[in-house]
Amino acid sequence: MRRLGFCFWLAVGWLAMMALVATFAPLLPIADPTEVAFGGPREAPSADAWFGTDALGRDVFSRTVHGARISLAVGGFAIVFGMVVGGGLGILAGYFRGRLDQGVGFVFFVLLSFPALVLAILITATLERSLLVVSLTIGILAVAPVGLLSRASTLVFAEREFVAAARVLGATHGRIIVRELLPNVVIPMGALTLLGMAVAVVAEGSLAFLGLSVAGDNAISWGKMIVDGSGLRDLQNAAHVTMFPVAVMFATVLSLNFAGDRIRQHFDVKELAF
Amino acid sequence: MRSVGVGALMAGDPLLSVRDLHVRFATERGDVNAVNGVSFDLHEGQTLAIVGESGSGKSVTAKTLMNLLPRSARVSGEVTYGGHDVRALAAAGTKHFFGVQMTMVFQDPMTSLNPVKRVGEQIAETLRYHLGRSRSEARSEAVELLDTVGVPEPARRVRQYPHELSGGLRQRVVIAMALACRPRLLIADEPTTAVDVTVQKHLLDLLDDLRRRRGMSMILITHDLGVARGRADDVAVMYAGRVVETADADTLFADMRHPYTEALLRSIPRIEDPVHHRLDPIQGRPPESIDPPEACAFAPRCAYAQSDCLNGVPELDGLLGLHRFACLHPTGTERGAAAMSANQAAGVTAAGMPVGGDR
Amino acid sequence: MARFVLRRVALLLAVLFAVTFLGFAAMNLLGDPLVNVVGVLAELDCDAIEAGTAEDTTVDAASRDCDTVAAARAEYHLDRAVPVRYGLWLGDMATGDFGTSFQNDQPVSQVIREKLPETVILLVMAQAVALGLAVPWGVLAAYRANRAFDRGSTVASFGLLSVPNFALGVVLLYLLALRWQIFPSAYESDSVSGLLFSMVLPALTLGLPLAASYQRLLRTDLITTLQEDYVHMARAKGLPPMRIMFRHALRPSLFSVVTVFGVSTGTLIGGSLVVEQIFGIPGIGREIVTAVIRDDFPVVLAIVMVVAVTFVVLNFLVDLLYSWLDPRVRAR
Repeated sequence: MRRLGFCFWLAVGWLAMMALVATFAPLLPIADPTEVAFGGPREAPSADAWFGTDALGRDVFSRTVHGARISLAVGGFAIVFGMVVGGGLGILAGYFRGRLDQGVGFVFFVLLSFPALVLAILITATLERSLLVVSLTIGILAVAPVGLLSRASTLVFAEREFVAAARVLGATHGRIIVRELLPNVVIPMGALTLLGMAVAVVAEGSLAFLGLSVAGDNAISWGKMIVDGSGLRDLQNAAHVTMFPVAVMFATVLSLNFAGDRIRQHFDVKELAF
Repeated sequence: MRSVGVGALMAGDPLLSVRDLHVRFATERGDVNAVNGVSFDLHEGQTLAIVGESGSGKSVTAKTLMNLLPRSARVSGEVTYGGHDVRALAAAGTKHFFGVQMTMVFQDPMTSLNPVKRVGEQIAETLRYHLGRSRSEARSEAVELLDTVGVPEPARRVRQYPHELSGGLRQRVVIAMALACRPRLLIADEPTTAVDVTVQKHLLDLLDDLRRRRGMSMILITHDLGVARGRADDVAVMYAGRVVETADADTLFADMRHPYTEALLRSIPRIEDPVHHRLDPIQGRPPESIDPPEACAFAPRCAYAQSDCLNGVPELDGLLGLHRFACLHPTGTERGAAAMSANQAAGVTAAGMPVGGDR
Repeated sequence: MARFVLRRVALLLAVLFAVTFLGFAAMNLLGDPLVNVVGVLAELDCDAIEAGTAEDTTVDAASRDCDTVAAARAEYHLDRAVPVRYGLWLGDMATGDFGTSFQNDQPVSQVIREKLPETVILLVMAQAVALGLAVPWGVLAAYRANRAFDRGSTVASFGLLSVPNFALGVVLLYLLALRWQIFPSAYESDSVSGLLFSMVLPALTLGLPLAASYQRLLRTDLITTLQEDYVHMARAKGLPPMRIMFRHALRPSLFSVVTVFGVSTGTLIGGSLVVEQIFGIPGIGREIVTAVIRDDFPVVLAIVMVVAVTFVVLNFLVDLLYSWLDPRVRAR
């Protein structure tokens, strides 16, 4: 077992803190993120408002903390959805081959022929933008890359002796898939969860930036905060309104990528082609 | 200094001289001493064969001469070519030394040609860079060179890619490439190991012929003593990073002293052997080169091994340039005979290897 | 070779079919297209008006409201079932009629013609930035693998790959356009040089993270290639290190970069939606965002189609590029 290193634990620490803070945000002793005129408009960071205030005088620190909720919820849900649906389809396609494989392969190819963000705005623009819809949309984006990976590793394992042995012993398809393939395919994919989550968090941010993530004033998102503060005059006079969420988002994505990459190396899994 | 020429050497001065060469690699498990104090001289127009099993340090020695080792290698000792310190030349980035003065041919022709470049380009490249030939001059010289090394239809071959040629042809291309700038020293690292057996002799004869015609010197690296016989002027046998026996070829084959040399020779088939003759493989494996004990490295596999072989590394005795060997109980001597009969009587050597009664 | 091309073309057509059908179905089933074309007039009960049982509330006598509605229905085949409508739309597409934008009655083909060049310039510049940086960067990192420069650049590329491009865009805009005022903060089209200059920041925004990923791939592949015998052979031939790098090692090490080059175009197009927004570039990225929000489906579908064709064709070209990179592929 190679050591994961100090930086890995630093990244994990940051992620754990973000997860905790996001979960308990409403209980924390911080300002109401939607309270207009908590301070004056565009106030610089101070002891009262650590990250300053935005154009409407809302507390940027509190909004950044609350912004973690949607980002992490969407990111987490999306990658789990992608793993379950994409991973499942990939295993079925790789195990049964033939028609099913061709069909699934074509669906993956079509999904990958769309630039991911174009696909996402098509869906979120036509449906009501609830947390579930946005998560599902980004989850769908994860299906094809995860699916291709699980299909590829299923192909490898389906040829191995232990699967052949199980088949000779009269195991049913279902049993082989659940008992033999699932554990072998899922573990390496699991090692890619954090990396996939990083992509999902960025995707949510991009949607929010375009105004197409979760709708509503209460739905605070880093992407939305960044776009709100990125008008030329806002940037010129009150860069802190955007730069704090940018920094926090960067730290989070960096931590996800770094910890994810370490885990991937640790389990010696190939990189995922998003 | 942009380039190094070697004028007429003083009579008796070697072209290449290696003194006390050590090469160490730092690995995660500890230092590997790949080469342990190797010294030899090579005179103009002569061939030196370096013989040994894989892992004996012969290829590392060759790569050291050509400055091809990875940066992690730690090298000490002296390598001079025509009086110039080769490692200093390399460190100074001297142009037109490697490739023009000395060059090397590698073991596997499948991998030593660039798969994405036409073979003509690969030959012409050195001519253009070192000798300043124009594109068309270099092209026609490449065709001539291919002809020289016996490639049929050279004008067509120069336009082909390596994967379109057979293994034997590729090795001829590699030789043409190496010889393009008429180097004075060629290092051939197992030049025939990877090619078809039927082609091996042709290639060796070709190399020998070219060397003779061009007055070139050659270091022939091989695991096969048979290859060295008849082609080398001098032979150095390497084991575990050391030269264990060295002499001119006639002396060595007629009067070998080191049990390892003897074992090497016994392990190769010979034409004169009767049909169904049993070859004697060398027992055991080459030693681990991490933290070797202070003992003769061959002792664990040696039928002559005595207890004194396990106390300290035997020195390479004798004068440089004459017959030298590093053995306390050399074969063909009384000490050797005594050691052998003692071991046979005991049925086991001092290092614990069982010895059959009748060999 | 011919079979290869044919299979590719068949695949391309199948993908376009699937992509446009999905898009078409989504845009038609999830909202009422008639509302998008004629707005509130869609509420009118024209059958009743024609029959005289309801009052015609038309204000402008020159064009009756119900005529407008009927014209819209005919234009977009709105009285047919969705699959039929899709077939008719496809037929129109095949004859070069991309339809008319709901938004401003412009022909869609004209919208595309106006907006596409800006995006193409942006993407080409972004790829140029990415490759132009990544090749020397990757070569240097591999040449001195695991030394200070290489370690530093691993950290740097990791960082770049973790900045969402909208965040990078905003940061670059703030630093290079507002703080240090090196580049203009918004799109300019007065002159060609001005246009290109104003595209530098957007191109950097898209190109920098891509350069980082190219660099990492190239570095890894180069380090592997540098272990190859033919590189040792080139050194034994006495060629200088940089010549060996560029003439011998680089080309065989470009496979991963070329593969990602194809795929990354999709990522870049996605990124252009955001970047065109930040820097106010009137390209198809900004156009499709607007069109999607306004349910302007002829425009959306046309852009989706253009994007999908570009993407698939580009990846086909990438496959051809492999055989240039390695002549052994040609033999197969």
